[in-house]
Amino acid sequence: MLIENPLNSSALTFPVLECCHIVGFAISIGTIAIVDFSLLGVGMHRQTPAQLAKDTALWTLGGLILMLFSGLLLFSSDPDMYYLNWPFLIKMVFFVSAVIFHYTIHRKAVSSDTPPNNGKLVACISLALWCGVIFGGIFIGFVYPGLSLG
Amino acid sequence: MLLSLVQWLQFTGFFTELRGSAYVYPIVMSLHMVGIALFGGMVLMTDLRLLGWAMRKRSIADVVNQFRVPKRWGLLLTVTCGFLMFGSKAEEYYYNAFFRTKLILLALVVVQELVFYRGVYANPAALDQAPSVPGSAKLAAALSLLLWTSIACCGRGIGYIEPPLDKIHAQLLPPSTYPRFTEPRSTQQGEIAPCCSSKPTP
Repeated sequence: MLIENPLNSSALTFPVLECCHIVGFAISIGTIAIVDFSLLGVGMHRQTPAQLAKDTALWTLGGLILMLFSGLLLFSSDPDMYYLNWPFLIKMVFFVSAVIFHYTIHRKAVSSDTPPNNGKLVACISLALWCGVIFGGIFIGFVYPGLSLG
Repeated sequence: MLLSLVQWLQFTGFFTELRGSAYVYPIVMSLHMVGIALFGGMVLMTDLRLLGWAMRKRSIADVVNQFRVPKRWGLLLTVTCGFLMFGSKAEEYYYNAFFRTKLILLALVVVQELVFYRGVYANPAALDQAPSVPGSAKLAAALSLLLWTSIACCGRGIGYIEPPLDKIHAQLLPPSTYPRFTEPRSTQQGEIAPCCSSKPTP
């Protein structure tokens, strides 16, 4: 049975959702990056990473939720295409890893006021994972459908 | 005048190469997005602090002053990558209504910054001493949020406008061949660029 996705009946919904997706990732990844740079000792010297993490946690979560739900709706517009798109699959691996990393190891690293010894490593991994999400997202539009490379 | 300038720009050797490369272009676009996340996140937190919606335990001076330098680096990354994308298809962008709107909004951001610089951004410590955050600072933050969000959305909109193909001199590789390596094409005399040009149809 074919069910018409109401998202596909208007030309405007997809770009509007994309804008929400962009705003969502700017909020979430941007706030995470602030904490990561603080862990690396770049900028925000007057606050500890732990303080910054507490300050931004709610906005990070809000941005993640906006990004996730707009992303799910974007995905629903053409699931087959995304399923067969290798950058999308890589993006999902990066995204799931990044979220899990953020709420486990990353959270632990910024839980106490004195950053742990591996704080810089945690920050680098976090930044790399989120960059992977962004690169995957952009490359979705640049490959031909199909799982083969090139 | 402006049109001939953008035509010259896109046919410089560097931008012709960039336009023809299948992978460098999306990498530049991804870095543009990374810049947006870095810069956007810091702009957002600064504005939200001025509005009193986030980071209320930190002084305004702390937030504004400490984000100033990293914000500039983020902006530099975003603008550099944005210019690279513009240059590689300058003529197409020239005709693009969203791109034009985006430039106007960017000009408005500069105006906003100049108007509020003295009263808000240059001396945030004074804002902390005031009994409550002055209206001018809140207005500056609200305008900044509105303008930057609109700029990001206009940026996304650029891709949705079909270029006027009869006026465009630099053609992209056809979508079906885009991510694949294509056979080198023979160049004809009088063409401006080796692989990515065609004569305008009258």
